[in-house]
Amino acid sequence: MVTVRLPLTLLLLALAAGLAGVPAAGGATAGRETREAREAREAREVPSGTGTAPAGTVPARAVPPRTAPASRTAPARPACGAPYLVDRRLPNGARWRLCWEMRTIEGLTLTDVAYTPAGGRETSVLRSTALAQIHVPYDSGEPRFHDIGTLGEIAVPLQSADCPGGQRRGQYVCVTTRPRGHAYLKSRFEEPALSAQGHDLAVYSAFQVGWYTYLVEWAFSDDGAITPRVGATGSLSGFTAETGHGWPTGTGGSHVEQSHSHNIFWRLDFDVDGRENDVVEQYDFTGSGTAARTLVRTRFTKETRAVNGRTRWWRVVDTESRNADGHPVSWEINNSASAQYRGPRDEAFTRADLYVSQYRACERLATNNPSPDCAPSVDRYAGSERLTDPVLWVNVSYHHVARDEDADPMPVHWQGFRITPRDVTAENPHLRSRAR
Amino acid sequence: MGRGRTAVALAGMGVLALAGSLLLAAGDQGPQAARSALRPPAPGDPLTGDEIARAGEIASATLRTRMSTGRVELLYVERDDDKAAAHLRRADAYIYDYGTDRLIVRTVDLGRGEVVAESAGRGVRPPPSRTEEARAAELLLADPGHGKRIRAAYAEAAGRPLRSASDLGLRALVYTPRRHGAAAAACRTHRCVRLFARLPDGTWLDTTRIAVDLSAKKIIALEW
Ligand SMILES: [Cu+2]
Repeated sequence: MVTVRLPLTLLLLALAAGLAGVPAAGGATAGRETREAREAREAREVPSGTGTAPAGTVPARAVPPRTAPASRTAPARPACGAPYLVDRRLPNGARWRLCWEMRTIEGLTLTDVAYTPAGGRETSVLRSTALAQIHVPYDSGEPRFHDIGTLGEIAVPLQSADCPGGQRRGQYVCVTTRPRGHAYLKSRFEEPALSAQGHDLAVYSAFQVGWYTYLVEWAFSDDGAITPRVGATGSLSGFTAETGHGWPTGTGGSHVEQSHSHNIFWRLDFDVDGRENDVVEQYDFTGSGTAARTLVRTRFTKETRAVNGRTRWWRVVDTESRNADGHPVSWEINNSASAQYRGPRDEAFTRADLYVSQYRACERLATNNPSPDCAPSVDRYAGSERLTDPVLWVNVSYHHVARDEDADPMPVHWQGFRITPRDVTAENPHLRSRAR
Repeated sequence: MGRGRTAVALAGMGVLALAGSLLLAAGDQGPQAARSALRPPAPGDPLTGDEIARAGEIASATLRTRMSTGRVELLYVERDDDKAAAHLRRADAYIYDYGTDRLIVRTVDLGRGEVVAESAGRGVRPPPSRTEEARAAELLLADPGHGKRIRAAYAEAAGRPLRSASDLGLRALVYTPRRHGAAAAACRTHRCVRLFARLPDGTWLDTTRIAVDLSAKKIIALEW
């Protein structure tokens, strides 16, 4: 077990920040102070009625303080400045820092994503994440679109109403805080129930690709969870189909709208607590029709591809970094909500739900990769190289069978997956804020 | 119901006015450009408009002649995201050589003011640039059959004749080759794009079975 030491200065700063509502700033320069003051103001911009812990939700009894996760080296500050820096403390005290960039090809890209659990130390999670492809094959077999063009050129300007309770960064990016419902609720003996409300920091943009408008969003929760998701809205293509490949959406049988899939790929360069010592593991649970189930762990030492299973999940674990319980810090990836589209032979990239590849800067898109030095598609990235710095590619499919309700403007349909902390803190991360 | 209707045009005529394609279009401040020039960019900031323009110039320095003839074209400039060089201001210039049908990616170190890496290859399909998008539309309008059809659809939707390709709400995507007939097979090595075109009334031209071969300057009917 690794000994836990939280530097006193950090603790004091965190305390001061928590009390004053100002993010901790060590050795701030004049320029940065201004920025941080602004970020602090943003951090307080939570929707009305969801501000810092209403009296009724504060636990009657403070939870015994637990020390913060083991500290090796403090993570580097996000390398960007205003207006690209997002630094937000959520009402429970958790803090997220990251940089955004509107890249010409990938569109909204987040880098240097770091999480500070309430009362804990900051730890890096993702070096970079962005969309890697939106593949849209229609059910009759054609057409089949690869929707990532120059997303950065087709971002949709957001109105202030498109960014409720938040702040637009330039015209195209919204940074906002919003309630996510209960963080926990527990009844007690002869006392009111113990409960708290949770919040998300959401960062998103919208892109117009042909008929579709795609909302591309990352939500960062105050319990450390990350939810990347894409919402498809705008208009249906209007492609007609034989009834076997579509659904009647016109009056009577006047129009049969063709069904299709949205196969969305995300690239996630995890750097858990720094670039070193990151390992990807797969978890399965054997036993079907039996009373007992057994955990089976597979450690990926080489590049690999994997398919979903109902109870299967993966995690990126830093083998050297431990939480206060002495458990390795990790982030779990769960992709069980995918429709698991499998395409024809010439679309080998659709044949797995998760790819793990060794980091290469020129491997950026899951198909039509725009680099002569790298392979053209993700199935080819996942070769047999030894993994020392894993990049994960998550493929989430949604099969869209149009309904009458999908009339213009089409209601948003969402698809995404979850990244949850596993043993990043030794306690419920939401409760930790109460310990202060 | 009111789904997005795909407009199919009938007939019409008009004169094609070519939108002047800018050789260095990527030097314009795209949405990715860091807008604020009040302070020098931090290492992790997006490229500024100035940096994009400068990277484009440095990357194109040895290609000027071929660029002036339109044989070589700067597509766009993207911030280099190699985390091994994260402390440096670097840009990747995407350049397409139509003469040899090769993509060239030149990495420019903005601090040193020079190209520090280059890769090139055939059959690589970066997304079309805005200039290529406009050129694809011009080629489509220049095609007698398609041009007629599009102008008629535009006139009906807008109530006025189409003046140039830029009147259309254009969006190009790279065409990913599949077995779509003999003409489309050329796209395995040629620069081919798919085009979406929105009309002023919110409808779309039916361009689903069309690819534009920018290398051969031809319109390809996709067969399936
Ligand atoms: Cu759809």
